[in-house]
Amino acid sequence: MSVELSQSGQVLTATGLSAGYDGRPIVQDVNIEATPGKVVSIVGPNGSGKSTLLKSLVGVVPVLGGTVSVGAKDITNMTPEKVAALGVGYVPQIDDVFPPLTVKENLEIGGYLLARRDVATRIEAVLEFFPRLKVMLTRKAGKLSGGERKMLAMGRVLMLSPSVLVLDEPTANLAPIVATQLLEEYIRGFADHGSTVLLVEQRAKAALRISDWTCVLGGGRVVLEGAPRDLEQDPVFVESFLGGGTARHQAP
Amino acid sequence: MSAVSVFMSSFGFGLMTAAVLAIATVGFTMQFAVTNVLNLAYGSVMINSAFVAYYFNARGMNAWVTLVFGMVTGAVVSWALNRFVFTPFQRRNLAPITVVIVALGVDLVGTFGLQAIVGGGYVSFRLAPGQEYHILGMFLSGMQLVILAICAVVLGMIHWLLKYTRLGKAMRATSANPNLARNSGVKTQMVISTTWLISGALCGLAGTVFAMNTGVFEATSAQLYIVMLLAAMFLGGPGEPYGAMFGALTIGLATEISAAYISPQYKEVVAFLALLGMLTFRPYGIFGSEKTN
Ligand SMILES: Nc1ncnc2c1ncn2[C@@H]1O[C@H](COP(=O)(O)OP(=O)(O)OP(=O)(O)O)[C@@H](O)[C@H]1O
Ligand SMILES: [Mg+2]
Repeated sequence: MSVELSQSGQVLTATGLSAGYDGRPIVQDVNIEATPGKVVSIVGPNGSGKSTLLKSLVGVVPVLGGTVSVGAKDITNMTPEKVAALGVGYVPQIDDVFPPLTVKENLEIGGYLLARRDVATRIEAVLEFFPRLKVMLTRKAGKLSGGERKMLAMGRVLMLSPSVLVLDEPTANLAPIVATQLLEEYIRGFADHGSTVLLVEQRAKAALRISDWTCVLGGGRVVLEGAPRDLEQDPVFVESFLGGGTARHQAP
Repeated sequence: MSAVSVFMSSFGFGLMTAAVLAIATVGFTMQFAVTNVLNLAYGSVMINSAFVAYYFNARGMNAWVTLVFGMVTGAVVSWALNRFVFTPFQRRNLAPITVVIVALGVDLVGTFGLQAIVGGGYVSFRLAPGQEYHILGMFLSGMQLVILAICAVVLGMIHWLLKYTRLGKAMRATSANPNLARNSGVKTQMVISTTWLISGALCGLAGTVFAMNTGVFEATSAQLYIVMLLAAMFLGGPGEPYGAMFGALTIGLATEISAAYISPQYKEVVAFLALLGMLTFRPYGIFGSEKTN
């Protein structure tokens, strides 16, 4: 893993952020700061607005109030294509690849903003990182297994050497071993290389293990946040998210 | 004529119909794939483009050169339709059926508006059919062979565009997942506009060679063509350019061969029956796959 895949870099900040669909806010008054070299994770029950929050950061869902910035740049309600050009790589929870396109073509679209002559070398670098994809370059993305597909989805955003990675449940539907590897090797690795990582993760325990800071979203608001070792001591958090490790309840 | 020769000569007609239909369906299906617009006004754009080409031909320009005018007309009109009619309606978040009905209205206005301008009479291109060739029992004129060649070259170019160019890949990506395309930095609005220009040029080309191949044509000649388009598109799977080529070949041959045995009047009926059968048994076409996620 000697290849420099992501760039070190920029702070991603959301201040007083409200966002939602058809003018109705789902996410309300959220403040988040993700900094280079750190993994910030967001946990919360289904429907608490985690995906909506990430989408509003990258321009897919309209911001209704507050601001979003990358580095010194205000990116509030900027188009997704401009956000991508600023070095923010976003992997959505679903629809994270182009199913009818081959693996290679998916990576090429990932490198759409690169100079034409750089695309091939960049694909090589990404493939060094995810060697399993090497043997399936001509396979359609729609025919990959869940794990291969997630690697491709990550590979696609890595094509632009992002300085900020915004990942929505990258481990969903993955076998535990693959999920752990993805989180602890790859995703933690990006941060250790200096990138900024903002991660939504269903499984609180796994999230805490690789995070520097964790926010708990409930009903569209941050109801609790802190460093992992503090949250592990927090009775409310433990009861809601770590208790028995099975049922996940709405945080009060 | 023997049974074999009836079959082979209708096969020749079928090949011509299929070639023209392939160009038309590829354009039609590209519009559907990239913008989700079922452009029922396609036939009227085809015939309007043919009349623009004919206008120049009637004033002495070589018929093959006027193809360029047909293509430019198709491209500009289609682009404008998307930009000023379909997109505004889509933006208003109405039910998808609204755009279909709007397109139907545009088709009527386009066809009968043209008729009001050019009158109701039949016209034909000034174009020598050339020598007749007898190939494998098919009778094809020099003109028809040129049309076949043009169609083959254009389909080859579309294949190259979609498979090997940055733009073509961006078009396919936009069709498959527009949001993800934007997250990858693709300016999808530009891609969509370009798609309408290219598919519109195909529409104009198809309209003009359709008119040339038909011999005599009038403002309403392409009115039922939409049935052929829909049948060919659904056969190959909506939004699948390669499926469109296959669907066009099947529908083109089926309609012309059945015409030889039943009656040419029932061409569209045959196409429509094929469409119904397809919708019943394989609504996503032979090549299409259910878009699920
Ligand atoms: N496109 C949409 N239009 C309207 N409402 C939506 C849309 N997408 C999501 N919602 C609503 O917004 C709320 C938050 O959804 P969101 O997907 O952000 O939750 P989540 O925390 O990511 O859930 P999960 O853990 O299941 O992924 C839900 O009530 C959902 O129904
Ligand atoms: Mg979600």
